[in-house]
Amino acid sequence: MTRNLVRLGLSPARWDVLIALAGNPNVGKSTVFNALTGMRQHTGNWPGKTVAVAEGAFAHGGKRVKVVDLPGTYSLQAGSTDEEVARDLILFGRPDVTVVVVDATRLERNLNLVIQILEITDRVVVFLNLVDEARRHGIGVDAARLEKELGVPVVAGVARQRAGVDELLEKAMAVASGAIATRPFRVAQHAGGVEEALQALVPAVEEAFPGIANARWVALRLLNADEAVTEAVASGELGANGAGSAGPGEARHRLLETARGLRWDLPGDFHDALMERTYAAAEGLARNAQLTGLKRARFDLDRTLDGLLTSRWVGFPIMLAILAVVFWLTIEGANVPSSMLAGFLIDQAHPWLKSLGSGLGLPWWLSGFLFDGVYLATAWVVSVMLPPMAIFFPLFTLLEDFGYLPRVAFNLDGFFRRAGAHGKQALTMAMGFGCNAAGVVATRIIDSPRERLIAILTNNFSLCNGRWPTQILVATIFIGALAPSGVAGLVSAAAVVTVALLGIFFMFLTSWGLSRTVLRGEASTFSLELPPYRPPRILQTLYTSLVDRTLIVLWRAVVFAAPAGAVIWLISNVRVGGPSLAEHLVGWLDPLGILIGLNGVILLAYVVAIPANEIVIPTVLMLTVLTTGAAAGAGAGVMFELESAAATGEVLRAGGWTLLTAVSLMLFSLLHNPCSTTLYTVYRETGSARWTTVAALLPLVMGFTVCFLVAQLWRLLA
Amino acid sequence: MPDPRLALLAFGAVVAVVALLVWPRVGLVPRWLRLRRLGERVRVEDALKHIYTCEGQGQTCTLESLAGRLEISVGDAAGLLAHLARLELVGSVGEAPELTAEGRASAVRVVRTHRLWERYLADRTGIPAGEWHDHAEWMEHALTTAEADALAKRLGHPRWDPHGDPIPTAEGEIPPRRGAALMRASAGDTVEILHLEDEPRAIYDQLVAHGMAPGGRMDVVERTDRRILLRGDGREWALDPVQARNVSVRTLPAGEHARESGASLADAGRGETVRVERISSACQGTQRRRLLDLGVVPGTEITPEMMSAGGDPRAYRIRGALIALRREQASWILVERPARADEGAA
Repeated sequence: MTRNLVRLGLSPARWDVLIALAGNPNVGKSTVFNALTGMRQHTGNWPGKTVAVAEGAFAHGGKRVKVVDLPGTYSLQAGSTDEEVARDLILFGRPDVTVVVVDATRLERNLNLVIQILEITDRVVVFLNLVDEARRHGIGVDAARLEKELGVPVVAGVARQRAGVDELLEKAMAVASGAIATRPFRVAQHAGGVEEALQALVPAVEEAFPGIANARWVALRLLNADEAVTEAVASGELGANGAGSAGPGEARHRLLETARGLRWDLPGDFHDALMERTYAAAEGLARNAQLTGLKRARFDLDRTLDGLLTSRWVGFPIMLAILAVVFWLTIEGANVPSSMLAGFLIDQAHPWLKSLGSGLGLPWWLSGFLFDGVYLATAWVVSVMLPPMAIFFPLFTLLEDFGYLPRVAFNLDGFFRRAGAHGKQALTMAMGFGCNAAGVVATRIIDSPRERLIAILTNNFSLCNGRWPTQILVATIFIGALAPSGVAGLVSAAAVVTVALLGIFFMFLTSWGLSRTVLRGEASTFSLELPPYRPPRILQTLYTSLVDRTLIVLWRAVVFAAPAGAVIWLISNVRVGGPSLAEHLVGWLDPLGILIGLNGVILLAYVVAIPANEIVIPTVLMLTVLTTGAAAGAGAGVMFELESAAATGEVLRAGGWTLLTAVSLMLFSLLHNPCSTTLYTVYRETGSARWTTVAALLPLVMGFTVCFLVAQLWRLLA
Repeated sequence: MPDPRLALLAFGAVVAVVALLVWPRVGLVPRWLRLRRLGERVRVEDALKHIYTCEGQGQTCTLESLAGRLEISVGDAAGLLAHLARLELVGSVGEAPELTAEGRASAVRVVRTHRLWERYLADRTGIPAGEWHDHAEWMEHALTTAEADALAKRLGHPRWDPHGDPIPTAEGEIPPRRGAALMRASAGDTVEILHLEDEPRAIYDQLVAHGMAPGGRMDVVERTDRRILLRGDGREWALDPVQARNVSVRTLPAGEHARESGASLADAGRGETVRVERISSACQGTQRRRLLDLGVVPGTEITPEMMSAGGDPRAYRIRGALIALRREQASWILVERPARADEGAA
């Protein structure tokens, strides 16, 4: 059993009661999980949030209880990876009780899953969630009636307010211990052809597994040639379920033979017929449990809002206004904390650490390596990265909680469809403007394999928070300077926005190309559920989005930035026959750099600063000073930034920079490989070295090509 | 710094060379790969398949038909047949070559792989239906028996390919083809298409262009020796016997009729509640499962509720939930429009 659970991805720690949490996407399953375990897993107003299986544990009445949060699925037919995981956990993980979270506002669709789960296991408790929302929409559900018909306990409540959660836990423990006996509802009669085959096969199942509780379900799965169930029958593993024991191998073999023979007589639309009957049953159950006489709220907020937010005329302007406000708040709001952090971590703590080092008598190379290299790179990344993310992500999460983001995807899907992508990519793209790694993680909301890969591979074309400062600085120094001082700020801002829009253009272009070439064969299933609007919970959102998105991304960035700092310091200080290693490298890279309008310093900076775009400019400055011998900076391998843009411009011009260099850098900053944090995230999300390589090389090749063409044409025409 | 003109020229040359090498279908690398695949194995297997198909259709296979099918000269076809005879895959080499037991088993294996691959493409990938056959023509030669068996296991041992043809089992059993020839139906019957034969291609393409697909239901209006007239889904078909021979149908029990209108969910107006009749067979695999899971089954009532700012997709109220579907998906969902029936007739 333990082996099985490890295979299913559960840690084999000991527990007394195992609770599996199942349900449709976006029914508040994660909220129930948090309410039960006291954990703070982020729950968004999104269908399909939980993809990996989350686990939590707590003690109750002297028993160790473990809760497993299954992926949200519409069905258990094992048609997708998520469904397979959920099904296998219920079938082979053998939870003591399965809690099915049901959305009272969409009872029929949710009961479809309940019915399918009741076919597998009889130890089930149904949690009827969101009854308050249902009431607001004029839907009342008679929980007692539903309980009677389903034959398992039904608890009504509102998980967000913990209402009903204690009762749920009591009932779940009672079902787990056997104190409450259940008589699960089963679909009595399947469609013609299916029912005959079932009648013929069920006796064979009961012969092979005497005392089995879910013979009809096993028979159905065998008729469906379900690989996992067939193997479990062949090995006898199915019988160890507690719901019957495995009979002789001979009987099991005969069962499989019978099933194989019967399959030929099944109707061709077997699967359709099953779903039709299941839904017919769900419809009947829902109708019987419907409370009548409830009035819909007179003012229907949802419909009014939807009418406005998806309207042909004001839908897009509202969206642009909201996004503009989010970006403005992020950029403006991040300025102050960013400079405070930089002032503390770089201007104060760094010299203090250096003097501490010399006070302790550390050799110069060790203190340089540790404080100028590792510490400084990390401090830099933290101070530039943290404040904007800590503002951007909570704002985004609030919009998500409210239910607005699915409407954005809905409105924009037309554009993305033409590029072969999913409307939800609009959101992962917007997330990418904050951080590409977070954007890649966010693609989990796209449940269609092809469209998800497209979103992952093109997220890098969103100009992330780490690249904005580079763009702004370079545009101010080289492009703003071309304009009269009155409009210089406006001109450089326009240049940066142009680059960002160019990124969106490349995102569409690449999506279009990918969906028509390499990703053509990937399966695609579009569907987009528009959940009801829900009032966002501000405090909880702040907390969870900080923990979930900001800190995790920051941690990964720090893990990658620290070694980069070490490398930067080392190449600047290790000398090979006179000049430092960095000078040699810059010399080698110079011809290639100049060919594409850049120079060796910039290329080397992009190579060593692969962990984080934030440290590109400080590294460029340090390397420029190192190779030109200009009188600025803090020494070899010590990254720095200058107080004024004008002073930075002087150093760069001394390094041979021209307007072309600036334009090429802005383009290259948009079009180059994602940072290593993002690449690692791509690898984690796709589980494929091949796609990670594509994610790295695709923008890099595009960057080299575009920069090369721009540089050569520029020189030709200039 | 190199001369920009020179650099751009060199760049153009590199792009041209790369394009020449890897351009899909016409590039050197794809061509070379194709040539390499068109080896002896392919010819042998295609020949076996051709003879097998002839046998199945009760036709005589000739040197000319073989040469025509494989696009080789009659002389080459004769040489190929002799080669097959040496391999003991074909018995008599005379006017009508016959398969030996071993030859038939090989042919069935090729057919099995072909149909399995089509099923795979339909169920697990996003390759459009029009390309399944061509892909499968490659893969039937490329997969080993073990690979085909593994594929069958992964797909849950499917019984039918997406065109409605039975897939032979690993043991070589082939279930009888379902359905009867369309020409056998008589006026007044209501039939459901079970299978469209995809060879010869020209006729198959005609049938598909006319909007025929497995699962389609139609009333037989008139049948003579020269043509058969059908009506359903708001349209009419007149097929000649050659076309009709490629259509297999089953006759529905008396009382069931074809749909009068060809309405799909995409035609429903905002706020108009329609009832699902069925999901078109053009929608297969994961797409179909998703729609079924969302509760789009025969009898479900669906109401279009709102349009996105761009016009497509639209959001529909389906069993209490608000689900956005694209126009293409909505057009797969065939519906009855109870409220509009009178209007349509007027």
